Amino acid sequence: MNEPNGQELENRLGLEMPVERLKKAVINGHEQDAERAAHEILEAGTDPMLVMERELFPTIKSVGEKFEKGEFFLTDLMSAADAMRAASRVLAGSIKEGSKGKITTTRIGNIVIGTVSGDIHDIGKNIVALLLEVNGFDTHDLGKDVESMKFIERAGEVQADIMALSALMTTTKPAQKEIMDLLKEMDMHKKFLVIIGGAPTTSEWAEQIGADGWAETAEQGVKLAQKLIKGR
Amino acid sequence: MTPPWRINEVLDRAETGPICLERDFDLKVLVPKLKDVIRQYEIKFDPENLVPSDDSLADELWEAALDFYLEVGTLCTSTHRRMLFDENEIREAMKNFPGRYTLGYGKDSREMCHRKIEDSRRPFCLFSPDITCDEELFIPMSMAYLQEPLADGVCAPILEEVEGRSIKAGAPYETKGAIAHAMMFREAARRVGRPGIFLQGVGTAQSDAAQIAASNPMWGERLTDGRFVASISELKVDHSLLNKMVHFHQYGSFVGALTGPMLGGYCGGPEGTAVVGMAYHIQGLMVNQAHYLNYFPIHIKHMHNTTGELLWGISLVYQALARNTPLISLSNGFAAAGPCTSMVLYEAAAHGLTSVVSGANLWEIAVARNKYKNRATPMEARMACEIGCGAAESGIKRAEANELVKKIVSKYENQVPEAPLGKMFQECYDAKKVMPTREYAELYGTVKRELFDLGVPFAY
Repeated sequence: MNEPNGQELENRLGLEMPVERLKKAVINGHEQDAERAAHEILEAGTDPMLVMERELFPTIKSVGEKFEKGEFFLTDLMSAADAMRAASRVLAGSIKEGSKGKITTTRIGNIVIGTVSGDIHDIGKNIVALLLEVNGFDTHDLGKDVESMKFIERAGEVQADIMALSALMTTTKPAQKEIMDLLKEMDMHKKFLVIIGGAPTTSEWAEQIGADGWAETAEQGVKLAQKLIKGR
Repeated sequence: MTPPWRINEVLDRAETGPICLERDFDLKVLVPKLKDVIRQYEIKFDPENLVPSDDSLADELWEAALDFYLEVGTLCTSTHRRMLFDENEIREAMKNFPGRYTLGYGKDSREMCHRKIEDSRRPFCLFSPDITCDEELFIPMSMAYLQEPLADGVCAPILEEVEGRSIKAGAPYETKGAIAHAMMFREAARRVGRPGIFLQGVGTAQSDAAQIAASNPMWGERLTDGRFVASISELKVDHSLLNKMVHFHQYGSFVGALTGPMLGGYCGGPEGTAVVGMAYHIQGLMVNQAHYLNYFPIHIKHMHNTTGELLWGISLVYQALARNTPLISLSNGFAAAGPCTSMVLYEAAAHGLTSVVSGANLWEIAVARNKYKNRATPMEARMACEIGCGAAESGIKRAEANELVKKIVSKYENQVPEAPLGKMFQECYDAKKVMPTREYAELYGTVKRELFDLGVPFAY
């Protein structure tokens, strides 16, 4: 049997550093372990801002990459995001209390996302929302079967950069156009960038309705959002 | 011909079952139990056996799915309650399931039956483009599918517009679109001389109101036709879906359950997709009281089901159904490539052969990732069904089919992410004469000869 290395020895003796345990808990999607590790990080006096910036966010991003490569399934991604959120709540709460700063450096955009009116499908939308979140966007998920005007109202409330509209049915796809038409009629079409996706949608459809972009897959959706934010 | 179970008891479950929020259902109920049964029953994808010959694997899948569904049930998202059934109820419903129905009427009627593994009886072949079309192409495209000799039933293309107006779910033009769809489809059936053929409707209508509006024995959906109740991924229904179910049964049509578990979604990998797929068949019987099921497991990213990890599950689900239930199910192909390409014909071949030798009836075939308007022709379905009927009549065994399927799949599996979209209906089919173009007819002949030389059985 090989000699254990330092890390293995630490693990065997239960001496694994809280930061490592936090990363592992996020990758494995263990919400309570992540929360516990976050508390221990604070108790140890480690700067929570640094932990979030240098450890937590890169870890969840790596989970997103594993999902994109097909190494992780949707449920792994969802559990990891839950664990990340649990740890973030603890660490971010401490930052506010300690007035050490705001967590703004890694959040690259503000997105309102949902499945359009009449459409009850949301798995694809959920994946996009999660991948956007793990890639540094603030996401406001309105759920499914969302009234067209609600997208616009919510985007205004949260001062969204982007509205992301999902449709899975050919008969619900026109609701994407309805939102674009409403934005134009209300003279708000320059206020938000609008991206669309979903099984029956195409780049031609996006162009036809005046959307700012279309993505076929969740990964392409993230890249599109990143590109649009950069170009803003 | 009566519904196989009790309608009020089903509806009561949606009002009185245990309360469960949707996210909890997905992550705390469905996923953990799915992982449990995959481990406990040792369900394992085997890329060497896309058409497995070991009966015990099919029986294990059935046991796993039954165990899974008994605990998980179906979530009604309108009431946030789980609809649960016990094993006796499921056995009772299965025992009273007829196992065969006569669909359509008169000279055009056909029998749809529960099939067995390596069954020598021809499968019921439903031809369907599964895609939207221009309003002016609706009748020619419908006629193209309706005139196919192997078609026992047909599902029409879907309208995006009616009288030039966009059809939007829940809005009045959806109701108009559903009515126009039903009227034009019957006209197309009369024009090809098959007025009584089984018609599956109404793809243009998403909402319950629009579906109900199309029910009319004089001009619309008839009692001899079929209607669909879909499911929300995974294993969820809502009031709108249950409204359709109640109406279709009371109206008297045949009721199909439309189910597509997603590989890469809550199901996880091939194993979970197969277990959930099998569970959908139980849900179809218990919740929808369906006469038959349309089954299309699908890749969440590429919207196809013609590669190994999905064909394996399709084969196993149909073998499990054949050995353990009297249920009737149609295997719905989804191809990545589009019309007038060799790849789409290979995909159709692999799907048709895998499905039929495993015990399925056929519903063929969505193509071009089921995404692009006007992009489907009956040629793709013809390939799948010629092979499906050939497989049944030739008596081909699973082991032999497995080797053929692997060879066919190897021709295209690496091309799926960049699959060619091919041509639109009007580019490879003469829409006026309702005939394939010479280019497509010749391509079809070339691929057919190649597959025949490989040993693939054809009906003729």
